[in-house]
Amino acid sequence: MAEVRLVDIEKKYGNFLAVPKQSLTIHDGEFLVLLGPSGCGKTTTMRMIAGLEDITSGDIMIKGERINDKPPKDRDIAMVFQNYGLYPHMTVRQNIEYPLKLRGMDKASRKDRVMETAEKVELDALLERRPSELSGGQRQRVALARAIVRTPSIFLMDEPLSNLDAKLRVTMRAELKHLHHELGVTTVYVTHDQMEAMTLASRVAVMREGRIVQLDTPKKIYAEPADLFVAGFIGSPSMNLIDGAVKGGVFRTDGVEVPVDLGDRDGVVLGIRPEELEITQDTDAAIGGKLYALELTGESTLVTLRNGPTSVCARGHADFEADIDSPCHLVPKDGARFHLFDRASGERLR
Amino acid sequence: MKKTLAYLGERALLTLISVVLLFPIAWMFLTAFKQPRDAYSLSLNFEPTLQNFVTVFSDPWNLGSMVMNSVIVATVTVLIAVPCAALAAYSFSRFRVKGRKFLFFLILSTQFIPAVVIVLPFFLMFRQLDMLDTRLALIIVNLAIVTPFVIWMIKGFIDAIPTDSEEAAMIDGASRLRVIKDIVMPMAAPGIMTSSIFCFILTWNEFLFALILSRRDAVTLPVGLVSFRTERGDLWELMSAAGVMITVPIFIMALFIQKHFTRGMTAGAVK
Ligand SMILES: Nc1ncnc2c1ncn2[C@@H]1O[C@H](COP(=O)(O)OP(=O)(O)O)[C@@H](O)[C@H]1O
Ligand SMILES: [Mg+2]
Repeated sequence: MAEVRLVDIEKKYGNFLAVPKQSLTIHDGEFLVLLGPSGCGKTTTMRMIAGLEDITSGDIMIKGERINDKPPKDRDIAMVFQNYGLYPHMTVRQNIEYPLKLRGMDKASRKDRVMETAEKVELDALLERRPSELSGGQRQRVALARAIVRTPSIFLMDEPLSNLDAKLRVTMRAELKHLHHELGVTTVYVTHDQMEAMTLASRVAVMREGRIVQLDTPKKIYAEPADLFVAGFIGSPSMNLIDGAVKGGVFRTDGVEVPVDLGDRDGVVLGIRPEELEITQDTDAAIGGKLYALELTGESTLVTLRNGPTSVCARGHADFEADIDSPCHLVPKDGARFHLFDRASGERLR
Repeated sequence: MKKTLAYLGERALLTLISVVLLFPIAWMFLTAFKQPRDAYSLSLNFEPTLQNFVTVFSDPWNLGSMVMNSVIVATVTVLIAVPCAALAAYSFSRFRVKGRKFLFFLILSTQFIPAVVIVLPFFLMFRQLDMLDTRLALIIVNLAIVTPFVIWMIKGFIDAIPTDSEEAAMIDGASRLRVIKDIVMPMAAPGIMTSSIFCFILTWNEFLFALILSRRDAVTLPVGLVSFRTERGDLWELMSAAGVMITVPIFIMALFIQKHFTRGMTAGAVK
């Protein structure tokens, strides 16, 4: 159990500013997800918490204690590395067992604990193999098992599921969520997959170029993205972001006319989620254009229409069928949210 | 047709090189089993004998004590040089200390000094210390010669090991020394083994310092060879027998490296 506080931390690699000065508090028992595109500083942030990377300035506090100068082994952290970092000369069993051995657990308990953990990540049949004899996904599961075999104060997980196939990823996701529920250990989880972030997180920190641009619950981030970047990053398919202008309380652009609560203004971006639009026969509907693409996803069909530079996607019924290039109209569902952003700054207007 | 010609040419060249390289060694091995009267003959038709090996181990040659000296000097040198060098190499490879590049260059630069230049100071030094003709003196000198080289060699191997596994071990609760013992050394084992054998060979074959610093008690095998050049002429068959004694252990070690340590130890550590 531990609260982690990053106070005004900053990380430079030479002259390159990887993480600009900022603060972040990770509450006790929280599952915090760092979400952002590749190269945005997620791994760097995590490595600073782990003590593997010196911080250029600022303080890291765990349980209220400043631990800047504590070596990793004294921080009571377990970590899943993005690159696994397995012990190639040890078998899978020895890999998973190693942290327990270092903590002086007796042999019999170690054996049980390893078996139990291996079963959780479906590795029990591979215990006597060496990492070089495993597939990428299996190696990743060894890395995961090695972290969850003990109960530290803090879990750090750097894209721990990125190399698993889709099915196992969903299973492991549920496993991790359950594990967190069971142990209640403070967890920092890094991913570039917004779906993983949404499903796992107590709170999500969306990062961009080293900076946390929004920190909130998944629900809030989905409902009220702080800026254009977050709006485009969260949700699948991503939010429609339509360029236009507001005049007389109406947002207008080619094929789109939506009443909004905003003063006259140019360079406005209207955001609306595909799942909050529906197809209509009404030719006077708010959004109109020609059908551009139909993609059946199984439970629904993604309908994309175009009108000039405007392109809008909606999630329609799985049975929906129409000819490409035929006219098509969309209306916002009841309770749909319009998000308005400033094109230039990306800031949220409403 | 053209291809076959090129192939044949290549083969012929390789064969020629091999013959030139192997001839002296083959000659030595054959001569070691010849009687004195056959020593200069190139004919393979001679009556083999083990007498030479018996002779070199008995008076006045007493090769036994030289074998002992060589084994002790080389083994102790390796046992001291390699662990020290491994730790030094690890530090050079992993710690970003100020001036480490210069320090590393300094260590390497010891290798640029011709041995002949420093052999006399060494001689004077050991005479002052009353350590001439002792194995300890030879061990100290060999350590000085070999350690920088071994540091450089092991550093190359450690540089090639990704740091991820080490970091994982530190998170798992290992101290730096524990990491070195449990993770780095096993992963670097092939390199360290290879370096050890190199170190052994260098010391085993070392001639100049042993020649100057030893006289009777601490004489090593390579120096011992010289004693077969007598006023009665060069005793080639005895020299060859002693040569075989020098070569065979090295030969066996080379085979050992090939068999056990060519396999990489880092496979599977990272993505
Ligand atoms: N050791 C390093 N030296 C220099 N730059 C680095 C180093 N590690 C990471 N970076 C840079 O810092 C930025 C953030 O990297 P990282 O934290 O690995 O991103 P992420 O994990 O979000 O993909 C990247 O631009 C990367 O190139
Ligand atoms: Mg990363």
